[in-house]
Amino acid sequence: MNTPQTSIIFSRVALVVFFIANVVAIYLLLRGHNYPGGGFIAGVATAVSIILLSFVSGVETLHRFFRFDPIRIATVGLLIAVIAGCLPLFLGLPYLTTFNYKWYDVPVIGELYLGTPLLFDVGVYMVVVGVVVKTVFILMTSTFNLTEVMKEEASLYASPLEEPIEEHPVVGSDVFEKEAAAEAARKNLNR
Amino acid sequence: MQVIFPLLIPLLTAILGLLAIRSSAGRRLFFAASAGGQLLFSLWLLASVFSSGSQVMYLGGWSAPYGIVLVADPIAAIMVVLVCLTAFSCILYGFQETSIRNEHPLRLPLIQFLVLGLNLSFLTGDLFNLFVAFEVMLLASYALLTLEADDWDVRQAFPYLAINLFGSAFLIALCAFAYGLFGTLNFAHIAVRAQEMSGEPLLVAFGMLAMLVFGIKAGLFPLYYWLPNAYPIMPIALAALFGGMLTKVGVYVLLRLFGTILPHDMDLLYVVLAWLSAATMFFGVLGAASRPYIRGILSFHILSQVGFMMLAITFMTPFAFAAAILYMAHNIIVKSGLFLVGGAVMVLNRTDKLENTGNLWVRTPVLGVGFLLLALSLAGIPPLSGFWGKYMIIVAGFTAGEYVLVAIAIVTGLLTLFSMLKIWMGSFWQSKESVPVVTSDRRWIPMTVIVGGLTVISLIIGLLPEFFIQMAMTAAEGLLDKDAYIRLVLGDLP
Repeated sequence: MNTPQTSIIFSRVALVVFFIANVVAIYLLLRGHNYPGGGFIAGVATAVSIILLSFVSGVETLHRFFRFDPIRIATVGLLIAVIAGCLPLFLGLPYLTTFNYKWYDVPVIGELYLGTPLLFDVGVYMVVVGVVVKTVFILMTSTFNLTEVMKEEASLYASPLEEPIEEHPVVGSDVFEKEAAAEAARKNLNR
Repeated sequence: MQVIFPLLIPLLTAILGLLAIRSSAGRRLFFAASAGGQLLFSLWLLASVFSSGSQVMYLGGWSAPYGIVLVADPIAAIMVVLVCLTAFSCILYGFQETSIRNEHPLRLPLIQFLVLGLNLSFLTGDLFNLFVAFEVMLLASYALLTLEADDWDVRQAFPYLAINLFGSAFLIALCAFAYGLFGTLNFAHIAVRAQEMSGEPLLVAFGMLAMLVFGIKAGLFPLYYWLPNAYPIMPIALAALFGGMLTKVGVYVLLRLFGTILPHDMDLLYVVLAWLSAATMFFGVLGAASRPYIRGILSFHILSQVGFMMLAITFMTPFAFAAAILYMAHNIIVKSGLFLVGGAVMVLNRTDKLENTGNLWVRTPVLGVGFLLLALSLAGIPPLSGFWGKYMIIVAGFTAGEYVLVAIAIVTGLLTLFSMLKIWMGSFWQSKESVPVVTSDRRWIPMTVIVGGLTVISLIIGLLPEFFIQMAMTAAEGLLDKDAYIRLVLGDLP
């Protein structure tokens, strides 16, 4: 109902473009050590491809496909990046010291550096994908007025952490907390 | 190696708290334990910095002017301890203030991100990294400000967002300016280059831009109006953390900038800053006297006291810097404590509007004693902690011959006392039949205990000033001794 595009040409092309964009993203991620590329730009490429899919299938289908809040991807990515930085600490070296295994003559990419910088980049990649997708989900649900749909969807598999950020927190039975305090503050400040 | 942990522990705590912990009670326990651990760790860092010298970490093993450095010198270590102390008490207080059902699950992780940003801005030795630290801190603060807000609150928070975005834009422009001017972003390296360029007008322009940027963050005179409207909308525990710490980052950066980085002969900047800070303290305290509710009074007082610290910076002697540091440390503790008292008043009287509060001295004398000690300390009555800082600032002012500025400071002190007495009369002393005191709401007891803890710390500073003044003097000399800082960071490079 709320899918903005229903053209069959668009939806077929979008699927092809989705795969191409992700191949490019992985390419950018792997060559990022010494050449243009890296975790951030690869993450943007992947996120754009996911946004493209959401134009095709509608944001609620995509949300159902993900089965968890995309911000979780970002959090895991942050954890990976921090761990990549922390590894040298165990050897008594400064935070973020790099360790690489250099692998020359790799087809397509040329040279590949396997090691903590790549791990860090993977973390950055996940942070970017998670944050961009989450932002787009929030914007699209409010643009297409899908708040109710999303709430039902989210309540199926969400933990308390995964409440959409835009939602108002649930008011408990403690009356003072929200109502009286807000009321008092409002009266005080309005003058 | 210890330098990195004040950054890693909050970051890992926030991530693990977001990912792994699902129950609200478990989350509270985990974050409280982590905050307590951070406090102990920061005290250990402080002890080791004072006993065995400043510590430097070259991130990624890249040597100094090229990579990012983290520097824990005495002032940075002191500030990290204060951050951890404030965060710990505010987190514990928040558990009392907000029931477990009403607490937003993102609040505690965001506080940890805020602590990460604060610690990084104190420890970093690189201008662009400072920008990153400010962004981490500000993003967390935007989210915390509006996390549990309704529509009206969001409207109040908007000026905060807008002016801080402008501030960040100016800060990144400052980074670009510094890179164009000095060809480096490392504090120590900038200090070397700036000494060579001493006296050039571009350097004054750089200082002016820096003063604008960090003046916005600290709430300096013409650009402070966002602050007293934004802070009262938050839950008290968060308002105490924000009011205690956030503006002090701006003060700290100006201390670092004027003391360590720029040459010590920029008289024009000092004059401008001195008069701006005099205006800040005076208008801040006038605003405080005009507000009819506790959180509003305290929010305006933040500005007034930032003015005091800035004034001390402009005298540019080790003694004045020590005064600024001691006053800042005292102010962080006392200001947070007073906000927390305001929260207890809100629980007991169901409002913090002075017209509708009262009877508290009779019903809860312990809270009253705590408030009185904190408030008189803020006003600078001897022998409480605020007295020593203010006394030193005024002595420094007399030594510098700035009698008008000192007179403004003294008048401001009197007006501070007046507005503190206004809260005392309104909430504690006056007895009104119509005002109920809800002592059956047991939350006020643990709240009073936390306030009591902060009061005891403030009393210790006030009664054992020798030790703390000595500490502040060490930190101030460390700030003003450029050569030592340059040697520490750059090693034997020219």
